[in-house]
Amino acid sequence: MQDASAAIPGGELSADGRSGQPATAARHSVDRLWGPAAAVAGAGVIAAAALAAAFATDAPRAEREIFFNVSQAWAVYVFLAALTGLLAYGFARHATLWALGQPVPGVLEGIDRRLWNAVRLGLAQDRLRRDRFAGIAHWAIFSSIVVLTAVTAQVALQDDTPLDFLRGDYYLFFSFYGDLFGLIGLIGVGMMLYRRYFDDYARVRWDERLEDHLILAGLALVLATGFVVEALRITADELAAHPDWARWSFVSWGFAELLHLFEFREDHLLTAHRLSWWTHVALAFGWLGLVVFTKLDHIVFAPVNAYLLRRDSPGRLTTIENIEEREVFGVGQIQDFTWKQLFELDACVRCGRCTAVCPANLAGQPLSPMHLIQDLKGHLAEVGPALQRAGHEGGDVRSVSQVEMVGEVIRDETLWACRTCGACVQECPVLIEHVPTIVDMRRYLVMDEARVPPTAQAALENMEMRGHPWRGTALERTTWMEGLGDVPIFDGSQEYLYWVGCSGALVERNLPITQSVFRLLREAGSSFGVLGQEETCNGDPARRLGNEYLYQILAQQLAETFQQKNVQKVITNCPHCFNTFKNEYPQWGAHFEVLHHTEFLARALGEGALVPKHEVETSVTYHDSCYLGRLNGVYEAPREILAVIPGASVTEMERSRSRGLCCGAGGGNMWQEEIGERRVNHVRSEEAAATGAGEVISNCPFCIQMFEDGVPAVEPEEAGRIRPFDIAELLERSVLGTDAGEASGDGSHE
Amino acid sequence: MHFVVCAKQIPDPETPPSAFRIDASTNAVVPAPGIAPVLSQFDAIAAEAALRIKEASEDVKITVVSMGQESAQAAIKQVLAMGADEGLLLDDPAFLGGDSYTTARVLSTAVQKLGDVDAVFCGRQAADWDMGQVGLGIATLLGWPAAIIAKDVQVTDGRMSATRVMADGFESVDMPLPAVVTVSNELGDPRYPKLQQIMRAARKTVTSWSAADLDLDPSTVGEAGSRLKLERLFIPEVGGEVELIDGDTAQEKAEGLVAKLREAKIL
Repeated sequence: MQDASAAIPGGELSADGRSGQPATAARHSVDRLWGPAAAVAGAGVIAAAALAAAFATDAPRAEREIFFNVSQAWAVYVFLAALTGLLAYGFARHATLWALGQPVPGVLEGIDRRLWNAVRLGLAQDRLRRDRFAGIAHWAIFSSIVVLTAVTAQVALQDDTPLDFLRGDYYLFFSFYGDLFGLIGLIGVGMMLYRRYFDDYARVRWDERLEDHLILAGLALVLATGFVVEALRITADELAAHPDWARWSFVSWGFAELLHLFEFREDHLLTAHRLSWWTHVALAFGWLGLVVFTKLDHIVFAPVNAYLLRRDSPGRLTTIENIEEREVFGVGQIQDFTWKQLFELDACVRCGRCTAVCPANLAGQPLSPMHLIQDLKGHLAEVGPALQRAGHEGGDVRSVSQVEMVGEVIRDETLWACRTCGACVQECPVLIEHVPTIVDMRRYLVMDEARVPPTAQAALENMEMRGHPWRGTALERTTWMEGLGDVPIFDGSQEYLYWVGCSGALVERNLPITQSVFRLLREAGSSFGVLGQEETCNGDPARRLGNEYLYQILAQQLAETFQQKNVQKVITNCPHCFNTFKNEYPQWGAHFEVLHHTEFLARALGEGALVPKHEVETSVTYHDSCYLGRLNGVYEAPREILAVIPGASVTEMERSRSRGLCCGAGGGNMWQEEIGERRVNHVRSEEAAATGAGEVISNCPFCIQMFEDGVPAVEPEEAGRIRPFDIAELLERSVLGTDAGEASGDGSHE
Repeated sequence: MHFVVCAKQIPDPETPPSAFRIDASTNAVVPAPGIAPVLSQFDAIAAEAALRIKEASEDVKITVVSMGQESAQAAIKQVLAMGADEGLLLDDPAFLGGDSYTTARVLSTAVQKLGDVDAVFCGRQAADWDMGQVGLGIATLLGWPAAIIAKDVQVTDGRMSATRVMADGFESVDMPLPAVVTVSNELGDPRYPKLQQIMRAARKTVTSWSAADLDLDPSTVGEAGSRLKLERLFIPEVGGEVELIDGDTAQEKAEGLVAKLREAKIL
């Protein structure tokens, strides 16, 4: 999984172009040079060619007979017509299947942004470079196909229209770049061949099919025969007459010189040329025909899917509107997906990038986003036609399929294993959004079928009955206030509402974190209050677990409370509360500014309201929580805090920032038993421990709990064990001079 | 067939200890602020037992009956959402302050009034007082056979068979209908309701019967009819002291500990 650790940040999840915050490390700026570097390289090629052309000005006007030695070249147009027909037929067939899906509102809104996505993420393949090797190989092939298609088109224009431009210097330049991009294409194909057959790189072989070999071999042959044709033509004709022209086709010319040594008879050369010409044409059209039948269709679908990419935050889940009036709540059958979700299935190229970064998959748990998408695609192909017939005949479409999509095609445990961490969505080069699709099916499991893992059910019931997910807690929402002196209750007069959250108040380990944040807020002299007993769950875990109904009830109630209390600014302890308040609450009429405590603390440090005056001799590594980092782009604030704590040294984990690995608790997995070879928190704890740091710093109560549980499992020896702390606990040590044992609150670390 | 499931609404057993209060003057639990009462978990399991039989056979109607105040509607709705067909609330100020006997009296009268009941399902005990008597009381007052603390209940051909949880194993019993069974947690977790059913349950109206509807003399029910008198309700004081035993060596410390334990007559 080398790509997962390669440091390429800044790939945005969100379509609105809101990237992570500016990267500071040098390696990040190298990556930002990618675009300019490509432009400079392109300009260089053109300039060199122009220069070379200038030297050749006194040569006789170069030209050649188009379709040299080839008769009945009009047959190419028959091929072209056949190909066009095939493409039209193929896409129409696909489209009838997509049409089975539900409507997608808003695809014609924000067209400028959407077109920009299609260009940046589709045509320019911005996501591909997150795996550098594959990014270069793909760019080589892509540019080669584009240029060589243009080359072919020019030949056709020259021959079959009154236009006459393929002569003189331009002809020589044309010969040059045709060969250049043929070579670039072959290099790309070579890289791909290497990775598929010789590299020990697994993901491209996780779901390998015949078409993968056909596409690669076919492209190699098309490019190679192109050079063969050219070389034979040059040998038979140009080499003798205009050797200086021939050199412009620098690759073919080399071969031609080689062929020349064999002194073949001219008629043999001409026959070979004719044969290879037709072979090349047949192969090229055949290869293009694969677009209809294979994953090559991504040539069309990927940019379109980039256009269709959501415009809101990736941290937001779609709302089921008018939930009380519905008959079906989640997605239990393929036609319950939106047509965009069905379209996405066709865009998948089985590259495996999603699965390679999926925390569940890394821990050997039963979820592979790639296979999930492919399984749905297969199911659509299987039941789609029958659904269409039933639809036309006015029959009952719900009884068409003999297999249950949720349960049989996609197993329950697969859906429950998802952490909603967004790593798959972020990596997908064709912009598939796996998480909403998974949550839609979870909604079906929970609301339509009531098939819920027992521990998740307990959490859901608890939210419903007690307003928090922590079944069996002995704590009250005010327990953390003990010993802190006067804790102001929010009454609308203060600037900030400090939202403690269920985990911050009701889980023993998190109480010291809540207290640290409180003491720092007080130290910073900020005007704030808390809700105390009046806090209730904001519904986030219910929504992630698939109980949209419960979420809506809880969210509407709380949004109303916020409005009544005139809440304008909120500081949250928990990135999950942060995300739902920020991205999902505006829908319920609750508009307010939301800060995670890392953001507030970084700001307070910047303004001098907090001063990290005490030396903290420690080495730390920083764990990006998914809901603060990947889903909301907050990577810098916590690192700014770490940077100003005197004495603290920071070692980054291999997977960090946008590539950060989930702690294992996301998507309601805090309340589930894990099924699989390993636990995700053990994997992540190992990565943290491998840095050699003394502390793993995070920003999320779930992450902290997962590390508290995972670290002892991977480091059985207590001595020298890495210790998990929230960044507020660490900062408090520096600002207020408390020590780590005190800050951790319990005696377990002493 | 017509089953009755008895459901009791109780103070939340998961109320944090620090929020649990007792009013010594009234000998009553003070409801913790902001903590809503819940359906007794054992009763949800009794409902699950009845629902499993309903699913496996045709023509089973389940009526969920609760003796309680208006708030007990929530407990009834919860069982309705699980899949019960009708709800019945037995609500009368005269019912308040009763004991297991008066509760059984009110519930058994309601079962009689319903008329066609084939079986009554109760939880093995209510999770607040943990008496475990109401199920047997109903059976006694109706003159029906009863099996208590069952982990499996089957109904076939007019008979009920139950597997009872014993201290040292299981006991299978078989009895003719009508019968009463009290169900234990070994049966399994109560189901999570489907949203369709929750919404259907929310729209259902729950019938309410008073003492007069049941033809019950108020002096025979509630506090007036109770045979059990609550003397005192209190939270026991649990105290502890810690003494560290000094000593220069581990052996000295151990000897000191042994001496202390002997002194306390623990050794």
